[in-house]
Amino acid sequence: MKKRHFKFWATAGILLALALAGCGNKEAKETNEASAKTQEEKVLTVYSAGPDGLAANIQQAFEEKTGIKVEMFQGTTGKILSRLEAEKNNPVADIVVLASVASMDGLKATDQLQSYEAAKNKDKINSDWSDQDGYFYGYSASALGIAYNTKNTTQAPTDWSDLAKADWQNKMNIPDPSLSGSAVDFLFGYTAAEKTAWSTIDSWKKNGLQVNGANKEALDAVITGEKNATIAGVDYMAYKAKADGEPVEIIYPTSGTVVSPRAVGILKDAQHVESAQAYVDFLLSDEGQKLVADAYLLPGNKDIAVKNRAALDEIPQLTVDWMGAEAKQLEVLTKFTDLFR
Amino acid sequence: MIMEGRRAFGFLLTIVIIFAIAPLMAILFYTFIKEGHVDISQFSRMFTHDRIWKTLGNSMVLGIFVIIGTTIIALPMAFIRTKTSLYQYEWLDIVLTIPFMTPPYIGSMGWILFMQHNGFLQQLIPSAAWMTDSFFSLFGMVVIMSLHLFPFLYLMLKNTLLRINGSFLDAALIFGRSSLQNWLKVVLPLLLSSYVLGSLLIFIKTLAEFGTPATFGSRIGFQVFTTEIHSYLSRWPVDIRMATSLSLFLLSVCLVIWYFQNLIGRKYTYGVLSGKTPARRELKDKWYIRTASWTFVGLVLLLSIGIPYFSIIVTSLQKVRGDGLQAGNFSLASYQEVFTSGSAGLTAFLNSIVFSIMTALITAIIGLFIALYIKKGETRKQQILDFFSLMPNIIPGIVFVVGLIMFWNAPWLPATIYNTKAMVIVTYCVLFLPYSVQYIKSSFSQLDASIFQSAAIFGRSNIAVYRRIILPLLMQGILTGMMMTFIISMRELVAGLLILPPSVETGATFIYSQFEQGNVGIGMAVAVITVLMTVIFMFLLGWLQKRGGQANA
Repeated sequence: MKKRHFKFWATAGILLALALAGCGNKEAKETNEASAKTQEEKVLTVYSAGPDGLAANIQQAFEEKTGIKVEMFQGTTGKILSRLEAEKNNPVADIVVLASVASMDGLKATDQLQSYEAAKNKDKINSDWSDQDGYFYGYSASALGIAYNTKNTTQAPTDWSDLAKADWQNKMNIPDPSLSGSAVDFLFGYTAAEKTAWSTIDSWKKNGLQVNGANKEALDAVITGEKNATIAGVDYMAYKAKADGEPVEIIYPTSGTVVSPRAVGILKDAQHVESAQAYVDFLLSDEGQKLVADAYLLPGNKDIAVKNRAALDEIPQLTVDWMGAEAKQLEVLTKFTDLFR
Repeated sequence: MIMEGRRAFGFLLTIVIIFAIAPLMAILFYTFIKEGHVDISQFSRMFTHDRIWKTLGNSMVLGIFVIIGTTIIALPMAFIRTKTSLYQYEWLDIVLTIPFMTPPYIGSMGWILFMQHNGFLQQLIPSAAWMTDSFFSLFGMVVIMSLHLFPFLYLMLKNTLLRINGSFLDAALIFGRSSLQNWLKVVLPLLLSSYVLGSLLIFIKTLAEFGTPATFGSRIGFQVFTTEIHSYLSRWPVDIRMATSLSLFLLSVCLVIWYFQNLIGRKYTYGVLSGKTPARRELKDKWYIRTASWTFVGLVLLLSIGIPYFSIIVTSLQKVRGDGLQAGNFSLASYQEVFTSGSAGLTAFLNSIVFSIMTALITAIIGLFIALYIKKGETRKQQILDFFSLMPNIIPGIVFVVGLIMFWNAPWLPATIYNTKAMVIVTYCVLFLPYSVQYIKSSFSQLDASIFQSAAIFGRSNIAVYRRIILPLLMQGILTGMMMTFIISMRELVAGLLILPPSVETGATFIYSQFEQGNVGIGMAVAVITVLMTVIFMFLLGWLQKRGGQANA
């Protein structure tokens, strides 16, 4: 009697375990099967650090045009890099889109990308933002400026050094560079191009500069009036908020600022290379570039008209060389965090 | 009887080991083994950083202050609810647990929106501007976390006080001490042991908390263990070994505290639970006690529910956030956008519901088997299983999450659930299994041996006994456990942030990312919907518990 019930429960238990494991395996198998029949049922996994709306629009337009189903993971540049690192043993991503060309170049240097030299339209794309060997393409960019609250500001700032003045004391912030790829780009570009950069940053700190989360969080503080200005604010977010009726304006300092490119590349371990190449082609195409412009970003193709924003040649720029910059960026980041910790 | 013997034990242990122990092993392995060799340089590297000591200091200071903060709220509240005429308002208990059920990151976002420069407070009372600077400091963080965690301590203290109330005080009165001496010599010592246990638990919960440090703490530059682990995993430059080392360190700290808690628990627990139900006496208060009590309760409710909920709801209704609180600046546009079919917010919210229901079902089944095996925890094996299945309660969620990521990405695994939705459910199950085990166990402990004996005498088969007698009797515990699991899964943030597969978001990660990157108004609209559902579930839970009498006191 006893033994029989044993068996009953043992079997029941094992079934439960199998069912549980099945939950997992089934889906894992599904993905395996899916990848096996790539040819018929096209799928593509994209890890994108794009602005939410733009990434979704591109995904939708791309799916409609090509019929390829896109699995999208969105996060900050940091999150995407760490995900790639954690998944090294069983990679799933095909395409990676980062908000920092230096990090992209780092991926190339550690042999994690594959070249796609035959990309259509690649000649129209800004070559300063892209890799010579076709490992990644700078399909868009944002310029970093000073975003300020128009209701609480009597005199708009014109240059970086203005923010060291008493008017701005305790009223400004900067996105946290360990969260925001563009903020790292700014610090790196600014300190590389301007000799006085670190002393200016120090004077901001003395004037009560606060390090304030990711890009949107920093800008949000300006929108709600908690702060009056964001240093190194990404311009497309400010333009977007302005279009929504929020009291925000952005200026580009006269002494020059950093334009931070965003790049797309195909991962070396990509399982759906053809679809991935189609995705890159789409991003570089006029249609893709127009979507970029609609999101208030600077398109990689200069011929595409910008929308309700300053065009690239209207922005005073500092010259920055992004290639091989990752190690130096890390130094700058460490120095900055030590200063503000 | 069923669920006894070696095979059942081995089987249950296997489940627990695969899902709960293996991740912890993976952390150990990843920290100490490098290319096949034992390498402690990783672990020791951690201690050379100043950062780790600062983090440790921050976490400890925060833990201690939160104990003080929760005490200030919970102790008077427990007395008010047992010693004054307010004892009769049972609904207060449900309302008082709402702060604990509110997702902590939502609560602190509410506080930030309320207190910040040009925030709602300053818009309502411009002269209160000075409070902003003093609030955005460790002080504010302690306030927010204490207001979130106090229900925990309050319920523990209240239950102890209820038990002491009766015969102990009668005996003390009869033996003729003054009432002050009664208090000092009888009530306080009895209360102390449950206070110490409760406050150590608060300490562990504070260490494990992610939501508040991630939102409010990052605003004031206050890093704790959980946020550091998260940032090593998600910020550039990524350092996974550092994250596992830190996880291991946090794990050890929690185990040490838990050990002390057990030690104290065993030494100073008195049998305050006697067979006699404490008699209820009519309580008549002086008017000033009454007023003071209601004022205190009102104040706590205002601070713990009123302010955060006000901010969330107002933000979700604002049209132009830069215009602040103004007539005409309100609309339901955010809600409209959320409820447009296929909107990101709605999809995320529905994902959360599916994950939570699956988790509730699976943990209920596993929890039932484990509880049936453990029974009252008399044999060694039963105790081992009990310990392992309750372990996720004392180990911070983020440690498990890190371990699960490491384990399911191990190169030798033939198949992996990583990057699938199953991974989310498995993670939730590991994290929340203790809830269902606890509730079912406590239901089970109320079954008297005579039930089994009479069933045996009347010659039913074992299966019939279980199906017809035990399951129905345990049903209330199972349901309560499921509801609790559901509520807790709905608000889980850190697991979602780290393990969600591409194209999948949960309500919690959606709200968090709206705060970080997107549209705060829409994020807050989803927050309001989440919170509303949680509150409805809580009242259901209260009703369920009441129906079953004092089932889970």
